[in-house]
Amino acid sequence: MTNAQVYYATNLLVYAGVDIIACLALNLQFGLSGIVNFSFIVFQAVGAYTAAVLSMPPDSANGAFQTYIGGLQLPFPIPWIGGAIAGGLLAIPVGLVVLRRLRPDYQAIALLVLSVIANTVITNAVPLLNGAAGIALVPPPLSDQFDPNTINYQYFFVGLTAVGVVLAALVASRIVNSPYGRSLRAMREHEVAATAIGKNPVQLKMTVFIVGGLIAGLSGAILVGFIQVWAPSVWLYPETIILFAAIIVGGRGNNIGAILGALLVPVGFEEVTRLLVKLNIGPPGLIPALEWVAIGLLIIGFLWFRPDGVRPEARRVFEGAPIPEDLDRA
Amino acid sequence: MNLFVAAFGFGLVSMSVIAIAAVGFTMQFGITNMINLAYGEVMISSVYVAFYLNRAGISIWLGMVAGALFGAVFSFLLNRIVYAPFQRKGTSYIGMVIVSLAVSLMMANLLLPIVGAFNSSYQNTGGSLVRIGNITLTTNQIAIIGLAVVVMLLIHGLLTYTKLGKAMRATAANPTLARNCGIPTQRVVDVVWLITGALCGLAGVVAALNSDSFAVASGAGFLIPIIAAAVLGGAGQPYGAMIGAVIIGLVTELSAAAWSPNYKEVVAFGILVVVMVLRPQGLLAKRGAMAAAG
Amino acid sequence: MSRLQPSRVIALAASMGLLAACGGGTPAPSGGGLGTGPLLVGVVAPFTGVDAALGPAYYAACLAAAPSINSNGGVGGRQVSCQQFDTRGEPADAVPAATSMIASNSNLMAVVGCTSDEASAVVRIINNAKIPMFCMTGQTEFNKPSPVLPYFHRLVPADIFDAYAMVGYALYGPGHAPYKNAALVFGNDIGSQAFVAPATNAFTKLGGKIAINQPITLGAADYRTEVTAMLATKPDVIFTEALGSAGTYLGEVKTLNGGTMIPFIGTSATIDPQWFAQVSGAVGVDTLVKNYGGVDLGYTFSGPAYTEFITNLNAAASTFADAPKYKQRGSTLHLYDGVIMTALAMTATNSADPTVYNAKIKEIANGVSGATVVTTYKDGVAALKAGKSIRFVGAGGENNFDQYNNSQSGYILVNYDAQGNEVKVGELTPAQTVTISTAGGI
Repeated sequence: MTNAQVYYATNLLVYAGVDIIACLALNLQFGLSGIVNFSFIVFQAVGAYTAAVLSMPPDSANGAFQTYIGGLQLPFPIPWIGGAIAGGLLAIPVGLVVLRRLRPDYQAIALLVLSVIANTVITNAVPLLNGAAGIALVPPPLSDQFDPNTINYQYFFVGLTAVGVVLAALVASRIVNSPYGRSLRAMREHEVAATAIGKNPVQLKMTVFIVGGLIAGLSGAILVGFIQVWAPSVWLYPETIILFAAIIVGGRGNNIGAILGALLVPVGFEEVTRLLVKLNIGPPGLIPALEWVAIGLLIIGFLWFRPDGVRPEARRVFEGAPIPEDLDRA
Repeated sequence: MNLFVAAFGFGLVSMSVIAIAAVGFTMQFGITNMINLAYGEVMISSVYVAFYLNRAGISIWLGMVAGALFGAVFSFLLNRIVYAPFQRKGTSYIGMVIVSLAVSLMMANLLLPIVGAFNSSYQNTGGSLVRIGNITLTTNQIAIIGLAVVVMLLIHGLLTYTKLGKAMRATAANPTLARNCGIPTQRVVDVVWLITGALCGLAGVVAALNSDSFAVASGAGFLIPIIAAAVLGGAGQPYGAMIGAVIIGLVTELSAAAWSPNYKEVVAFGILVVVMVLRPQGLLAKRGAMAAAG
Repeated sequence: MSRLQPSRVIALAASMGLLAACGGGTPAPSGGGLGTGPLLVGVVAPFTGVDAALGPAYYAACLAAAPSINSNGGVGGRQVSCQQFDTRGEPADAVPAATSMIASNSNLMAVVGCTSDEASAVVRIINNAKIPMFCMTGQTEFNKPSPVLPYFHRLVPADIFDAYAMVGYALYGPGHAPYKNAALVFGNDIGSQAFVAPATNAFTKLGGKIAINQPITLGAADYRTEVTAMLATKPDVIFTEALGSAGTYLGEVKTLNGGTMIPFIGTSATIDPQWFAQVSGAVGVDTLVKNYGGVDLGYTFSGPAYTEFITNLNAAASTFADAPKYKQRGSTLHLYDGVIMTALAMTATNSADPTVYNAKIKEIANGVSGATVVTTYKDGVAALKAGKSIRFVGAGGENNFDQYNNSQSGYILVNYDAQGNEVKVGELTPAQTVTISTAGGI
C-alpha cells in the first residue's frame, strides 16, 4: 500500500468512526426517544469549537490572523472531554425548549431553524469564533509530542477514534439494553400507557437527549482534531439531513442499524459517488451535483421500499412471557 | 427615526412577497397536512422559467404568468407522483418532511447544472422612485404590493363565495366526512395543489423581481420566512398566513433598521421558533376555514 | 437479540488497528527521466454548494493549459489532462477529496484551486504529499506560514494587497479628487473578511475616514435597509466586493439615492464577466462605466502567451461550453501559467518526481540572472534544450515569488468599457505603493 493510499484509508476510517459516533448519538435522540433533532449538527459543531478553543494558543498566535475566544492551550484529552461536555450542556436548554407536546414535524422545523440561527450568529459575530473563516491551525491531539505529519500519527489517530467509537457504543448499548431503554421504547410506542405506569416521559427524554448531546460533542472534537479546521460551512443544516438519511437507511432504534447507516451513507455513498467523477461527463460540476441528486433518490427509495432500514429494530420478546391466550375461547 | 420610516416602507414590500408565498404554503399544509419543504425550490424553478422568457424579450409581468403556470403544474405533479403515494402508504409526519427535503435537494441540484451557479437578473428598469414622506419605493415595488392585495382578495373570494372554496374548506377540516357528503376530495386536493402551486410560482418571480439578483441558492433562502409567516398565523389558515406575513415582513425590516441587518433573518427565525414552542397552533387557532395543526 | 456485544465492537476497533500492520515505504518515481503515461492536474475547488461558480473557472484554466503542452510534445511525450475534485466548499468534505485524489492518482503533476473555503484544511495535506499546488486563497494565514510550505504557491496576491490597491485608487486614482469618506461593503463570508482591516488602517492613516463598515450577508433578497443606513453616512466612495450580491446592493444604492450612483471601487475579483453582467444589469452599463473603479494585476491581455491562452480557451468550449467566458479572469490566467510552469520545471529537471522539480517552478517563475524570457511552453522547451535557463512570463504576466512562495506584482488601476472589457486607466507608483503598505502595516 502506498503512503497516499494509507492516508486515504486512515482518512476514511476516522470519518467512519466520527460518523458512527454521530449516528449512535442521533439514534439515541431520534431512534430511541423519538426527538426529531434537526439541529443535530450544531451539537457536533459545539463540541468541535469547544475542543478547538481549548486546545489552541491564544488568538494572538500565528500572526494574529484570526480572532476567537478561549485559546487555553490545554493538553489532550481535556479538549475532547470539554467538547463532549459542551454538547451535553447545549442539550439542556434546547431540550427544555423543544420537549413539549409538539408534533414531530413541528419539532423538526423548530430545531432546523435553530441550527440556521446558530450558523448565522456565529458567521456574523466575528470576534467570537472568527466568523465565516472559522478557526484554522487547530493542533491535533498530542501534536507537541508526536509529529502529526507522519504515517504513524495517522494510525495513532485512528486508534484514538476507535477508542471513541468503543466508548460511544458502550454507552449507547447500555442505554438501549437497560431498563431505561425499555422505558424509552415503551414511551415511544405508547406514551399514554407508559405514563400511566408512572414513567416520566419528559425526564426520560431529557436525559437521553443530553447523553446524545455528549456523544455528538465528542464526535465533533474528534473531527476537528483530524481536519484541524472548523468553519460555519462545515455545519450547515444539510449535514443533519445526511445523518438522518443514515439512520433511516441503517434502521432506527438499534445501534447496529446506526453503525450500518453511518457506513452506508455518509461514508460509503458519499465516497463512492466521488469516484464517479472519473467519468468526466458534461460540464464541471455536473457529476458533483448529480451526487446530491443520488443521495436524495437514496433517501426516497429507502423510505418507499424499506422504511425500516437495512436492519430493522428487533422486536423484543421476554423469555418467560405468558403464552398469549386465545381470547376467542371463552 | 427616518431609517425606521424607510424600513417600514420596505417592510410593506417584504410582507407582500411573503404573503403570496405563505398563503400558498399554508393551504398546502391545510389540505394535505404536510410541510412541503420543496416549496422554495419550486419557487426558484419558476423564477428561471420566467428568466428564460425574459431573456427572449418577453416582459417580466407576462413572465409571472408563465412562472405561475409552471408552479401550478409542477406542484400538482409533485403531489400526485411523490407526496400522495407516500401518504397513502402511511408515512409518518417526519417521514414526509424528510421526503420533501430529499425532493428539494434533488431539485436544487438538478437545476444547478442546467442554469449555472452564478447570479442572474431580470431585464427590467425597476421603475422610477416614488417618495411619500420618508418612504421611498419604486413603481415596481408599488405594483408588487398591489398585486399582493389583489391576490389576497381573490383567495378570500375563492374561499368564501365559491363552491370550490367551500369544498376546499370542508376537505381540509374533515376529508372523510367531506367525501361522504359527495365532495370529490381527490379532485379538490388536485385543484388545491394547482392553485397553491400557481401562488408558489408567482411568489417566486415576484421575489426575484424584488431582489434584483438571484441564483439557485436563493431558493432555500425564501423558505424560512414563509414557514415563519405560515406557522405564526396558524398552519393551514390562509388568513393567518396573511397576518403572519404582515408581522414577519414588518418585524424583519424594522429590526434591520434597529439592529444589524445581518441578523434580520435571525429575527424572523426567532419569531418562528418562539411561536412553534409557545403557541404551535398559531394566532388564528380556530377550527373551520382550514383546520389548524392541533 | 440486538444486543451490541462489546466484543464485537472491540473487534471492529482491532481491525482498525490491523491497518497498522500494513504500511509501506514511499515508492518514489525514479529521479531520472520523465516516465510514461498520462499526467494529471487536479482541480481541487468547490463545484457544488454556495461557491460552485469558482471551480469551473479553475477547470477552464487547466483545459486551456493542457493543449498548450500536449500539442508541443507533451511533457517528454506525456499528455496532460485535467480532473475536478469537488470540495463542496467546506473543509470537512475537502479533506477526503484531497486524500482520495492523492491516493488514486500516482501521476499527479500539480494541483490548482484550493480557495479560502478549504485551503486551511487541504494545503497541509497536499504539501505533505509533496505535490506542487497553485492556490487561490487570499487568506492572511498563508502570508508568512511557519513552517514554510514548500509546495504551496500563490500566484495571486493576498487580499491585503488588493485592499491597499483599492485605497490607492481612492487616493491617487485618475479623474477625481482624493476621496475622503469611504463606506466598506464586503460580504461576511470567508473570502471578504480579510479586506476590511487593511483598508481601514491604510485609508484612515492617510487622511481618510471610514463612513461605515457594513458587512452584508451575501445572497440576501434585498439590502434596502442596509443601503439606506449607508447612504445616511454620506460616503463619497464605496469599497466593495460582495460577489453574487453586488448587483442587488449597488442597484439599490442607485435607486435609493434618487438615481445618482456613488462611485464604487472593486477588488480584483470584480474583474469578471459575471460581476460585470450582474452589476450592469442592475444599474445600467453607462452608470457602471462611469462610476466603477477597479484594481487588478498588470495584465495586458495581449502578447504571444495570451494569444495561445485565448485560442485554447475558446477551443475548450467543445468540452466546457462556458470556458471562453473566463478570458479576462485573473485566476484563470494565473492557474494556466502555473500548469505550464510546472510542465517546464519537469522538463528542465528531466524528472517526474515533484521533490525534484518543485523548487524549479520558483526559479522559472522568478528567473535567475541571464535567464531567457519565454512566453509559451514551446519556446520554453526549445530554450531548455539549447541549455539556457528560462523565465516564464505567461498570460498572467510576470511572477515574483517571495520566500513564502507568494507572488507579488504591481497593481494597475482599471475601469470597464461598455463591452465589459478591462481598460487600464492608471497605475500606482512604487512610492505610492510603499506609502500605503506602510500605513496599512503589513
